[in-house]
Amino acid sequence: MPGSSGGCLSVLCLLGSFYLLAGDPGGCCRKVSLQYNPGLNSSSVNLLHVRAVGCNNTLHYVWSSIGAPTALLVYTDSESSALRVNWTKLLSPSPAGAIVVEPAGSVLYSTAVVFSRVFEYNGANTSDLTAVHEDNFYPTYDLADFSWESVNRTLNETALSATFQGVSVSDPKGAFRNGSISFRVTAYEESSRDTLLPRLLHTANSSKVEFIVNRVAPRGNGSRFALEIITVEEKGGRKTLESLRSINDEYTPTIFEVAQLVSDARNDSAGPSFLQWKATAYSSQNAMREDSYHCRYYPLQTANRTLPRLSIAHAYFGEALASQHSVAAINISFGSEDNEAYEEKGYLSWSALIGFGTPPKDTFSPLVMAIMVVALGTPVVLLVAGSFVVLLVQKKRLEEMAAKDHLA
Amino acid sequence: MEEEQQALLDEDSAAEGDGCRRLKSLPALCDPGHLAHRLLVLALMCFLGFGSYFCYDNPAALQTQVQGVNLIWNMLVSLLQVIFALGALFNAFWLMELGRFVFGIGGESLAVAQNTYAVSWFKGKELNLVFGLQLSMARIGSTVNMNVMGLIYSRVQEMLRSTGYTTLGVTLMIGGVTCIFSLICALVLAYLDRRAEKILCKEQGKTGEVIKLTDVKDFSLSLWLIFIICVCYYVAVFPFIGLGKVFFIEKFKFSSKEASAINSIVYIISAPMSPAFGFLVDKLGRNITWVLCAVVTTLASCIMLAFTFWNPWIAMCLMGVAYSLLACALWPMVAFVVPDHQLGTAYGFMQSIQNLGLAIIAIAAGMILDSRGYLFLEVFFSVILKPLSVTGGDLNLSSRKREKLQKLAAAE
Repeated sequence: MPGSSGGCLSVLCLLGSFYLLAGDPGGCCRKVSLQYNPGLNSSSVNLLHVRAVGCNNTLHYVWSSIGAPTALLVYTDSESSALRVNWTKLLSPSPAGAIVVEPAGSVLYSTAVVFSRVFEYNGANTSDLTAVHEDNFYPTYDLADFSWESVNRTLNETALSATFQGVSVSDPKGAFRNGSISFRVTAYEESSRDTLLPRLLHTANSSKVEFIVNRVAPRGNGSRFALEIITVEEKGGRKTLESLRSINDEYTPTIFEVAQLVSDARNDSAGPSFLQWKATAYSSQNAMREDSYHCRYYPLQTANRTLPRLSIAHAYFGEALASQHSVAAINISFGSEDNEAYEEKGYLSWSALIGFGTPPKDTFSPLVMAIMVVALGTPVVLLVAGSFVVLLVQKKRLEEMAAKDHLA
Repeated sequence: MEEEQQALLDEDSAAEGDGCRRLKSLPALCDPGHLAHRLLVLALMCFLGFGSYFCYDNPAALQTQVQGVNLIWNMLVSLLQVIFALGALFNAFWLMELGRFVFGIGGESLAVAQNTYAVSWFKGKELNLVFGLQLSMARIGSTVNMNVMGLIYSRVQEMLRSTGYTTLGVTLMIGGVTCIFSLICALVLAYLDRRAEKILCKEQGKTGEVIKLTDVKDFSLSLWLIFIICVCYYVAVFPFIGLGKVFFIEKFKFSSKEASAINSIVYIISAPMSPAFGFLVDKLGRNITWVLCAVVTTLASCIMLAFTFWNPWIAMCLMGVAYSLLACALWPMVAFVVPDHQLGTAYGFMQSIQNLGLAIIAIAAGMILDSRGYLFLEVFFSVILKPLSVTGGDLNLSSRKREKLQKLAAAE
């Protein structure tokens, strides 16, 4: 497979260099391939390997629901780097070193994002996670204790997407009888913008993950959900939470804020890594503006964090995870006090981008720019022109009066 | 010679109107020419408006629970409030719709009649102040309704121990009482009006009860400019307030309560400021300048809200002030520009196109918001407001020209 795409790739590289010269910040296009459970014949566990090959580098995204659902991102500076999985070790209680990217020397940067827990709480009085009393929290859903459907069935090679769909193993109240929690993963080969809300702008160096709660029965009135995300950063690195507010909500109507977790700047070609999202979630698959949930994120917690449950992050980073890697956690809550949208619609979808490089940034579209210039510029022009006319008329009148006086 | 002529004239006027007896011994309150009596009429007109607007906004106040001094119109309005309530009581939505539909017809016509009455009683003296007060009472009626109806509904719910249409119907019936109250005001007002007609020998009958659509072609350019200003201004303000709550929650990170509060600040400010500005404009004149001021201020606040993150309270308070100023400066201008017998038609037309504009733009605003967001919407509203300053300028120029011509004529 890799050999046949070699010729394509050189053409892509050429095009890519043109893009770079033209100032396309997202990097050139990539060739993306999806692999499900490489080296394993069973579908009882899920590991999806997305390999995005670009000019002189390869991005590896490893998505897995073994343990807590995790996204592992590895940046290598070789076009022929490959993933090697030791399945016996991976499925054993001590998976350290089971996942390896070869050749090891080509790995420039690796990071992981773990979706660890889903909280459910009574948010009818206040939807602020930090202000809700402990008694108003229902038992937490630990995503490491979920059983996941086979991803093979949802793998879509054309759309480059796959869905991890899971239900809680221990479900005393039957909340998951008709519902599930899913993570839908989409890979990209080039920079563009989604057509569906929230119309995230993605680059070729990023992938999208959607967190979806579908018809999970709420365990009480006024239930709200919150998601806990844990990031793992290499030794000495850390992620900072940034909030970008803009006056422009053109692409995501009524949403003015983009939040992102960005790692420190690096001086190699890998660039920083980011997790970026818009402060909104939606209550329908083909969402409209009125389907949006009020979405709120909370400060990044960096003190004394450890990964609570096993995941492929342990398999890749090995023993060094506990000692050398910095782990941070962030909570994101969905829904405001006066809106019972989840009870009515039974659907929640939140999208985020994970990738390498500078996080993409929305700009004004040409249409809005043109209208603003015309709308705000014309009156200034009119004002100036009007004043000229008035001055001229006054001057003429003065001359006429002077002429009349002269005659009289 | 002159005295004889004067005496003849007096006799003539005495002979003209049969019921025209000028009794000089009337107490101040009963004398139609006296200020005290006119204040009484003003009070009645205000309560008339209050009751009407109270009922008008009932569905708005009870949203979550549900998915004019012209006597005839007032009765119609009361009747239809009752129909609306009956519809709710018997769980017949079509009846509610019918009631609202015709209420709409009644309510707006009531507003036209109110405007015409105001002009006939207060023209030339305190017209701006009166319009300001009427607007004030209308807003107070709406606000009181918003706050009170919800409470009434929950109380009725407790008493009857049932939710749904029974409770809703009873609540609306209670609301209908205020309509009856305004009906009584209208009855009294009608009686006083007829009485004043006889005593002051005023020709009341022709000031707008007959609406002739052919009058429309006689409207002057100034009047059309006033119409344009009216439509464009209101369509730039009301739809934004209708859609504004989420804007303040998402862009400025307000809580839900704060967002509701800032959204209603425009109306809250207009309640005390309208009469104050009305008084000011009465004293200083120059209505057009004030209208221009109001338009430019609203434009500034639109731009502030769209393009900056400055505290939105500033922009919204400015908008409230501008809205009050415009309302009490613009509506009386119609009275200066239009001959008395066309006044009703003019006001009616103005109300109609204002409402038509609001209906269309409200739908358009929703569509723009869904597809392109608030920035685009604000730019759209600014684009509507921009030409107003030009229009206002035109009006200014045309009025100055007229003044100059008058001065020249007087000099000659």
